[in-house]
Amino acid sequence: MAGSSLRAAGRLTHDPEVRWVLLVVAVVVLAFVALAAAPVPQAQARLSSSGELAFHPCDQCHPVELDAEGKPTKPLPVDLEKHETELEVHDILGEGDKACLACHDDPASNPGQLILPDGSFVDVTGDVSRVCQRCHFEKYRDWEAGIHGKNQPKCSAAGCHNPHSPSWIYIEALPPFLGTGIEVHAVSEREPFTPLAGPPVPPPVETPLWLSIVSALGAVTSAGIVSILIVGRRRQ
Amino acid sequence: MDVAEATIERPGVKRFIGIDWDFGALRTAGPRYWAFITVLLIFTLLGILGWIAFLTQGAAVMAQRDEFTWGLWFSNYMYYVGLSAGGLVVYASVHLFGAEQFRPLARLAVLQAGVLVMIALLGDITDLVRPWRMFWFVVTPNPTSIFVYTGSAAGAYMVLCFADLWVMITGKGGEKLAHRMTLIALPFAIYLHTTTAYVLALNKSRELWNTAVMVPIFLTSATASGVALLMIAAYIMQYFGVFKFKPSMFRSLSTFLSTVIIIDLFLLFVEIITVYWPTAAKLGHTERMSFFLTGSYAWMFLPVLVLGIGSFALLAGRKTRHLPVIQLSAAAMYVVAIFLKRYTLMSMGFATGTLGQYQAPYLPSLVEVLLWLGLLAFGLLFMTVGAKVLPMVEPEHGHGEMHGEAHASEHAEIVPAMVPETVPETVPETG
Repeated sequence: MAGSSLRAAGRLTHDPEVRWVLLVVAVVVLAFVALAAAPVPQAQARLSSSGELAFHPCDQCHPVELDAEGKPTKPLPVDLEKHETELEVHDILGEGDKACLACHDDPASNPGQLILPDGSFVDVTGDVSRVCQRCHFEKYRDWEAGIHGKNQPKCSAAGCHNPHSPSWIYIEALPPFLGTGIEVHAVSEREPFTPLAGPPVPPPVETPLWLSIVSALGAVTSAGIVSILIVGRRRQ
Repeated sequence: MDVAEATIERPGVKRFIGIDWDFGALRTAGPRYWAFITVLLIFTLLGILGWIAFLTQGAAVMAQRDEFTWGLWFSNYMYYVGLSAGGLVVYASVHLFGAEQFRPLARLAVLQAGVLVMIALLGDITDLVRPWRMFWFVVTPNPTSIFVYTGSAAGAYMVLCFADLWVMITGKGGEKLAHRMTLIALPFAIYLHTTTAYVLALNKSRELWNTAVMVPIFLTSATASGVALLMIAAYIMQYFGVFKFKPSMFRSLSTFLSTVIIIDLFLLFVEIITVYWPTAAKLGHTERMSFFLTGSYAWMFLPVLVLGIGSFALLAGRKTRHLPVIQLSAAAMYVVAIFLKRYTLMSMGFATGTLGQYQAPYLPSLVEVLLWLGLLAFGLLFMTVGAKVLPMVEPEHGHGEMHGEAHASEHAEIVPAMVPETVPETVPETG
């Protein structure tokens, strides 16, 4: 049975039309395999793994060359005048440059660097959530624990919130964050920032002294009775 | 319903509501019985004093705070309501499914169930700073509050248990009425356990509770712990000579217990796996659950798993399952495991507040502990005195003309000490 089938198949392959069909099929399969195996071009190759704000790194507009001492070879802008960004909520951080310098380091010395809680710096493509941690430490802890933003595990602070107006959040918050998503206003009214307070310290439990004394007496009496019962039983 | 002379001619036996109350047995009880009663009375009194302290000084004497709105009383409510399930399982097995091997245990089972639900409800009342406001709870119930349903179910179930006990003891209506009562009690019991589970499961702000598996877990935990407690109670009664059961009854209970335990553990593992499964895990959920496996609550929750698995392992061995020491150990382990499970279940929801604020683990205050011990002692007192004065042993022709009576003696024998005409001393001097 199997032999006759093979013979029939062999006869078919001698047919030129069948050969053409087989050739086309083989080419299509090989092309498909080749396409599947080929490396996918990284459309977002310049984005960081978490994607925050990599679309406008500072060095894109301000190419920086550092000298041997690690300082910029060319003079850099000394203020943030041309970086006009509308701040909502974060305008509470100060007037003019003062609001910017609350998170961004002085562009004259550390272009594009953001200030971390310990005073060190991080690039805008780095872990910017830790910048937010400086003020929003409670939220940061909750986010780190997965309680805040729990359904966006790979998203960091700027992945969900517009970093300049954090009361606006992106509808599509999942990475890669492109920074161009549709934003919605998450806070209905402008509210000044107040960090979430820690859990309230519960007032101490007030146990009446007389109750403690009576309880101790009751416990001792009961223990005595039970002991007598057990000892008496053993003797019996 | 006046007290009348008993149908059984014996000093101290009074007939009341159709039951021969053997008060004479209390008069002739030995000193050890009364010593035990004294201990229970002391703890009951301490519980009353604790309640007085709570009523006079307010909730400041409780460790329950804004973030721990339910404390020990609620974990005990869940626990006692659950334990009462064992009574119904045995009762229903006899009168609904004809499991005659459990018939000797039926009265004890129903008494235990009724007493447990009673102390569960008392725990609820003693938690109220103004208990008289229960009146408004009754006359103006909020139909969207699940407490209305579980509270009313518990009250009705308690009444049903005591009514069932009365039917069994008096034999009124025969086996037919007992069968009908079971048909009423069984859905009520399921309703009670389901609504108790829903008290937790319907809290969408507490994600560790907000799971549909809470209801079946409640039912299995309740059944397993209830049967385990009943087995312990049966052994204690046998030890003090109230009953003498056949080993086959304990074997049947053990087999049933091990089956329910493994289902209960399975459901718990299903829930844990759902929380931790990598592609389904929600970080907030796993973070909260981790408190109980590796965090500050692990010392309470891990014993639940260890004792539960250990209990099943003990009962799984066919060659050793019939040994009383194995049965008692496994039952005791599971009763403790379910208490810890209820306690951690209550803590789970409050471990982090609704704003995500972490809470220190809850530990009850002295007043809460006294209320707990007081109610427990009161329940035990009820059981101890009830077992003494009530005819707990089913006579050979207990329920009239229907089936079953003839089989009762196959599985239990009436010990001479409990036959009214003989010495009624049962608790202290035997064993």
